[in-house]
Amino acid sequence: MKEFRFRILMIIGVLAFSIYLLFPTFADIQNTNKIKKELSLLTEDLQKSNPTMSEAELNDLLQIREDSLMIIDPSIRENRENRMKLGLDLQGGMYLVMEVNTAKLLEKLAKDPDDEFKVLLESAAKEAQVSDADVVEILASKITLAGKRLSRYFGSIREEDADIISKLKEQESDAVTRAIEIINNRVNQYGVSEPNIQKQGSRRIIVELPGIAKEEEAKRLLQGSALLEFKIVKESNFTIPVMNRIDEILAANFKNESDSSSSNVIDTTSTSDLTEEQFAKEHPFYSIAIINPQSPYADAYVKESDKNKVTTFLRRPEVKNAIPDNAEFLFDAKPFTSQEGVNIFRLYLVNKEAELTGGVIVDAMANIDQQTTEPIVTMQMNSEGAREWARITGSNIDKRCAIVLDNAIYSAPTIQGKIPGGSSRITGMADMNEAKLLQIVLKAGALPAPVDIIEERTVGPSLGQDSINKGFNSTMIGFFLVAIFMIFYYKKSGVISDLALFVTVIMIMGVLAGFQATLTLPGIAGIILTIGMAVDANVIIFERIREELTTGKTSKAAVDSGFANSYSAILDSNITTFFTGIILYQFGSGPIQGFALTLMIGIVASLFSAFVVTRVIFDMLVAKGNKINIG
Amino acid sequence: MKVFENLNIDFISKRKIAYVISGIFILLGLLSLAIRGLEFGIDFKGGTDIALKFDDPINISEIRNNLEQLGLGNIEVKTFGGESGILLRTELQSIPAEVYSDVIAEIKNSILRYEPAAVISVSDSAINAVTFKFAEISVANKVETKLQNDGYQTSRLDDNNIIIRVGIADWIEGELRSTLPDNHFVIQKEDHVGPKIGSELKQDSVISVVLALLGILIYLGFRFKFVFAIGAVVALFHDVLITLGVFALLHGVIPNLNLEISISVVAAFLTLVGYSINDTVIVFDRIRENIKIHKTASIKDNINSAINSTMRRTIITSLTTLFVVAVLLIFGGDVLRGFAFALTFGILVGTYSSVFVASPFVYEYVQRTKKNIQF
Repeated sequence: MKEFRFRILMIIGVLAFSIYLLFPTFADIQNTNKIKKELSLLTEDLQKSNPTMSEAELNDLLQIREDSLMIIDPSIRENRENRMKLGLDLQGGMYLVMEVNTAKLLEKLAKDPDDEFKVLLESAAKEAQVSDADVVEILASKITLAGKRLSRYFGSIREEDADIISKLKEQESDAVTRAIEIINNRVNQYGVSEPNIQKQGSRRIIVELPGIAKEEEAKRLLQGSALLEFKIVKESNFTIPVMNRIDEILAANFKNESDSSSSNVIDTTSTSDLTEEQFAKEHPFYSIAIINPQSPYADAYVKESDKNKVTTFLRRPEVKNAIPDNAEFLFDAKPFTSQEGVNIFRLYLVNKEAELTGGVIVDAMANIDQQTTEPIVTMQMNSEGAREWARITGSNIDKRCAIVLDNAIYSAPTIQGKIPGGSSRITGMADMNEAKLLQIVLKAGALPAPVDIIEERTVGPSLGQDSINKGFNSTMIGFFLVAIFMIFYYKKSGVISDLALFVTVIMIMGVLAGFQATLTLPGIAGIILTIGMAVDANVIIFERIREELTTGKTSKAAVDSGFANSYSAILDSNITTFFTGIILYQFGSGPIQGFALTLMIGIVASLFSAFVVTRVIFDMLVAKGNKINIG
Repeated sequence: MKVFENLNIDFISKRKIAYVISGIFILLGLLSLAIRGLEFGIDFKGGTDIALKFDDPINISEIRNNLEQLGLGNIEVKTFGGESGILLRTELQSIPAEVYSDVIAEIKNSILRYEPAAVISVSDSAINAVTFKFAEISVANKVETKLQNDGYQTSRLDDNNIIIRVGIADWIEGELRSTLPDNHFVIQKEDHVGPKIGSELKQDSVISVVLALLGILIYLGFRFKFVFAIGAVVALFHDVLITLGVFALLHGVIPNLNLEISISVVAAFLTLVGYSINDTVIVFDRIRENIKIHKTASIKDNINSAINSTMRRTIITSLTTLFVVAVLLIFGGDVLRGFAFALTFGILVGTYSSVFVASPFVYEYVQRTKKNIQF
């Protein structure tokens, strides 16, 4: 048995590892069901105790309960992050392809465009619709054809056409980056779970929003121009009393709510720490929005997991009344990671009225300061903006000015002095990436990135669930049909191949989960197809062994030469199929890639099953002195 | 079980029969491609697809008549997922300009129907959304709930302004809600594809299939002899052509079987190419082996014996794969039906062609050139 030990260990190892990778997926399915049950119970309770409650309020409370469930048991979140992802076609959601409208961008960039330019641009845009060439190039050649130099409209007079073209193309790709940041920012604020936003080619953006129900809302997230504003941050002697009041109001409210009637909504705390619980009860706001007493600033630190809760608190009408009319609370656009590894958002109280909007920004540039080697961002404003900016900075020295894009704060630098010329330097960035991000954001104010939606696919949750059920059933039926056929035809050897088939399927699933690949409906079809094709290698081997047996070889010799003679055929045929899988992956988007991926994983897994699992079982049977008999 | 035990058929001598059969099928396929053509889905044409599921069974022709009155031109209506589901399709991307003012007027009318005293004005209208400004916030709140109940998708610009989405899909859906008030429906899926994507996809599809064939040609050329590679690719070409022909011949003929060319059908064709080559390679592998062992035997005998000895394997593996794609065809739902059909039919043709097209091709070549193949 010793000679088999290594291979058997390997098989067990592969199986165990696959199951280990699949575990979070199983756990997540169970957790999701548990949470769903709990929430539906809560919904019933709430509707009974308070029938007039509006849908928005109800959803807020449900959201809070869900968040608190997630916090009590951190494994829920962990499992969710590591589970096998479901594609949009299975869980429902929106898939969009957006393209930067270069023509619109060029129109904005052009210096005093005349009528001729507009005509040329329009025809260039039309031509670009049917050709692969870039609008920039088409327009450039058209301008040249019209007997003009590009520098008439773009760049400076001394620049060569080629330089201008490459600069315009850079602008184009900048616009895509900008659009992606704007979309990212909005999607994060909207609270879509597991969004996927990526650049495709040079001008396209793919956005996947799982579970978005309201299309219009989603579209508003994605289109429409971004709003960049400069807002002065309130000082702590203004902010602290406001927060105190909010804390008191919330504490008083919760006391009332828990005293009155059966409502047990807010009692979401764990039993771990009584004093902490006590604190949370008395200071519902400060327990999750923490202020550093040593800091001169009154920014509240909110854990990522508590952000929703704070937002709901701030939306309550009684809390709204406590916030002065001229101020509003805004969060950081992106969290920073604390020393303990927790993602934390700062919550600022800022002037509601913007001092200035981003339209006045002419340019922004991230750089390294020559003297201090720190990353800095320089920003230029037009003359009108510069005048305003001088006034604003002059009267707000030592205060902080928040740079706000679509209601999220990207940076809040302190104004160190009056800035007269319209050219400002922002310092204090942690690294160059942060500086680059700020540059993108500042430019978003100056130059909108016009994007068009060119493809949009929405799958409702009911069709998604239906597809999951059908896919699951088909997989089961397909598996058993093939398994039964193999036993029917090959008898005992059929059982061996079924075992190998089982290992194949577990491996495919494990690898999918391990790579965090997305399972799509065509992906399930790929698994089903693999089930049918996976036995191929086994059939070739069996038939070959049978042939070898009929020539009068011993069992051992027949098994050995049966496998040896099948290698080339099995490899050649699978390599060609694998190759088409690669092409398929390149060709398709989303769902089709899921199919190609499962097909390729399936090929590798079935080869492993045939050459290792089936082989070792045969070898063991032969070693034990069994006579091999195929069918 | 022992089926085809000691099979000994002279396939090569009977190849002419196969040529005739293949010829007829290819001719039929080409004819239907020329006469009926293929039906392309919106993936390729651009347009809008909406799948709806009603609570109760519906009457398709009634829906067709209702939608004709919208003035949106041709809207196709098909069944989708049982008798209470429909698939609507239009090639339009958005509501045509000449209908748009009617649309706004109708929304305005329904707002006034809810709240006759409302003071409203259109504050903005874009290609797929219109914004109404309300003088009073309380009225706006009430109207928004009612609009949502009626199935409009709304959102708030600010307290006074409500944005109402009027994409072409919403308009069609709205019409169905008002003409069939008792039969509620949910939107199963909604796809909009721009015309540019479609034309790119066409190009990509052709490129991928050609690339796959080319890759196989080169790989098999290396592993076998070039004539084998050409034989295999000819067989694949044969499979794809005949399957395409069937798509042209049968689209719109069989109810509940939607045979339009979509991305997933193209994926099925690529898979078919990858799968169908398997059988061919197995036979070729055996021919190669036979030629190595029986150096003196004629090529005809070597090919015949290779086909005969691999026949059982060919049939069994095709059967197991047929099982699963048939399961997919029957139980996989509408989304995968075209995909599963392409594979089911393709596997049948592919199995046939690896025996009756690919190997005879090699034989013909050897016959004509009088060259001796050696490995």
